[in-house]
Amino acid sequence: MKILVADDSTAMRMIVVRTLRQAGMSGHDIVEAEDGQQALTMVDTEAPDVILSDWHMPNMTGLEFLRALRAKGSAIPFCFVTAEGSAEMRDVATSSGALGLIPKPFTPEQFNEILGKAVPS
Amino acid sequence: MIDEFAQRRDDLEALLIEVLGAVLGADEVGAGWGEPRTPGPVLVSRLAIRDRQDDSYTMVEIETPFAVGRLIGARMLSLADPTTEDLLDAVAELGNIVAGEVKPLVRHSCRLSLPVAELAVSATELPAGGVRVSASVFAGTPQPMVHLTVRPAGEAEPGPDTCWPGSPFDDDPREALP
Repeated sequence: MKILVADDSTAMRMIVVRTLRQAGMSGHDIVEAEDGQQALTMVDTEAPDVILSDWHMPNMTGLEFLRALRAKGSAIPFCFVTAEGSAEMRDVATSSGALGLIPKPFTPEQFNEILGKAVPS
Repeated sequence: MIDEFAQRRDDLEALLIEVLGAVLGADEVGAGWGEPRTPGPVLVSRLAIRDRQDDSYTMVEIETPFAVGRLIGARMLSLADPTTEDLLDAVAELGNIVAGEVKPLVRHSCRLSLPVAELAVSATELPAGGVRVSASVFAGTPQPMVHLTVRPAGEAEPGPDTCWPGSPFDDDPREALP
């Protein structure tokens, strides 16, 4: 399985990858993007099976990325990992086609709870 | 708005400790109330919050001595010898996470900028109207402090290079609904 991690922070991408491992989701190929625009391009070139994306990113936000993805007809499982996790943002995330929203700071348990069905251990 | 922050000093301190504990490990973090800041270079992560109702700006800053920032960056990145660029990225993200928690304390309809991090020569003074809380990290280090400052924006803030991601409406999920 290939997982695309999109975040403008190198530190946060590393933490996300480490948390995936701590959640027991190791052994998967990880590809990384620095913003939504790059991630959207990488969906075509890398064909990821799951996408974890920040919400606030330069050039193209995570929400714009998700909507562009769904507009293309892609149904790739998509989850936000973001510093803001209000109930309204969760509603927007799910109504736009995301599996859910994992608020920063997060735990391996939260990764399992939301990603468990999409990413095998 | 800032009076509201002063009244929520305990909330600000609690969220700072919670975020640092989640990022660094809960055993590494404690309250730092009342401890003085030390001189020398500091790593600063700065974000702006725009209140859409009255068009005012609030600045959120995370500041830590460079030596402590090295420890934080090394822990966040799992690197033995992080570069200054690594440290700026790590502190920027720390500021982003903290500001994401501070934002709901401001008002409902507001917008958060992307973080800007810098290596400053020395710590800045707390301007009038601002609130500062501290947390102690890595007990035993010479300058074991991380400071969170919430203050009204200065006249030149936020600067023109401040990045506000997305469309003008993306920050408010209700307006982002199709």
